[in-house]
Amino acid sequence: MSKKVLIVDDDPDVRLFNATVVEESGFTPIEAANGEEGLKLIKKDRPDLVILDVLMPKQSGIRLYRELKTDKSLIGIPVIMLSGVAKRTFLRSQKALTEFGDKPVPEPENYLEKPVEPEELAREIKKLLG
Amino acid sequence: MIVKAGEDEKKMEIKKLLFVTRFDNLHFDALQSLMDLKKAALNHVVFLNVIERDKVAMRRGTGYEKSAEIRLREKANIRFIDWAETLFEQGMEVGVYIVVGSFAGQVIQAAEKESVDLIVLSPEKKGRLERLYSGSDITEIVQRAATPVLVYKYLAQKGPLAENPFEKPLLATNWSAASQRAIDYLKSLKAVIREVDVVHVASEKDLKETSAMGIQKTRKENRQKLDALCDDLEDFGITAKPHVYIGDTVSEIDKAARGCQSSMIIAGSPRKSLWKDRWGTSISKGLAEQSIFPVLLIPPKEG
Repeated sequence: MSKKVLIVDDDPDVRLFNATVVEESGFTPIEAANGEEGLKLIKKDRPDLVILDVLMPKQSGIRLYRELKTDKSLIGIPVIMLSGVAKRTFLRSQKALTEFGDKPVPEPENYLEKPVEPEELAREIKKLLG
Repeated sequence: MIVKAGEDEKKMEIKKLLFVTRFDNLHFDALQSLMDLKKAALNHVVFLNVIERDKVAMRRGTGYEKSAEIRLREKANIRFIDWAETLFEQGMEVGVYIVVGSFAGQVIQAAEKESVDLIVLSPEKKGRLERLYSGSDITEIVQRAATPVLVYKYLAQKGPLAENPFEKPLLATNWSAASQRAIDYLKSLKAVIREVDVVHVASEKDLKETSAMGIQKTRKENRQKLDALCDDLEDFGITAKPHVYIGDTVSEIDKAARGCQSSMIIAGSPRKSLWKDRWGTSISKGLAEQSIFPVLLIPPKEG
């Protein structure tokens, strides 16, 4: 069975685009429309990779990423952040949350800013899932 | 009756707010002026932009304008990303909705989906005639949402006059259950309030006595109730001053807010039928539409 890639993005068009790239790369896409849904699927399906947006309803990618990387059983799942929000902002926000008393978290395996070319996304997925 | 701080108050904390903007008369500086609410537990902002159907729907010969919707969505998205970046860097949680539909309906839906504690929006854009036919969005939202609504207004043309609109509010009370809920809500904001002025407006109809003695008696009765309320607020740690005004409720509340140099008006909003409110003249509707001050309307309890 092929490896599973969870796509978490509130924009259905982006989810469709990412799912197509994942499938074309030989993997199985799973989809979630927000961070809350994403976390449930991570716990249920244990994906091999997560492609994660930042700005979403219910729970942002910033909080989901933090939940993932502070949970011992989930920390090993690699994450590609794919967002219109700049990487610098993402890192600063994580730093701010750490300063407010949360645990420090490592940087994501990759951070791509939207829009992304399909070839670039496919290359990064393959690099991580080898 | 004075209700002491209790469990209900904890539930009224503002942790999450829904910031509804059309980008024309409610800008990021308005939201920034509310950031003092972080002291009162605020840690999550949800942005909402409603693309109203008339902007994208059916034009003669063109039908549904999908491309117009995409343009409007992306415009809103770019703006929200910029705002969200500032908030994320402060350690805030941020969410976004950009939706097509009816304004009031979408605001209520988003507020319910996200279980927000406060809805912030700008004053009505509709004209008087349009409101007469399709109703007031703000009234509909206040009636249908179980969430307090802050109708944000800029006190100065260049931006918010008060750095924190919650700093020196004017609480308008008519001793109703809705007013009591507003008082409870005010208490939950203790961390951001410096001082509160409490006003009761006795309408001229209430002054049945035509003698000076009768009028003074009405004033005294209300003043005593106000004193008790202010004592209760002071015991709770909020500096409070009582005021009695007489006349037209909406305009007198507005005058009191000017006189007290208030940063906003807080009032309870009683439950009424939509029909009655659409054609009638409720105080909350009057304040939302006529006052120059930001107005925070606290809805009645559900059920």
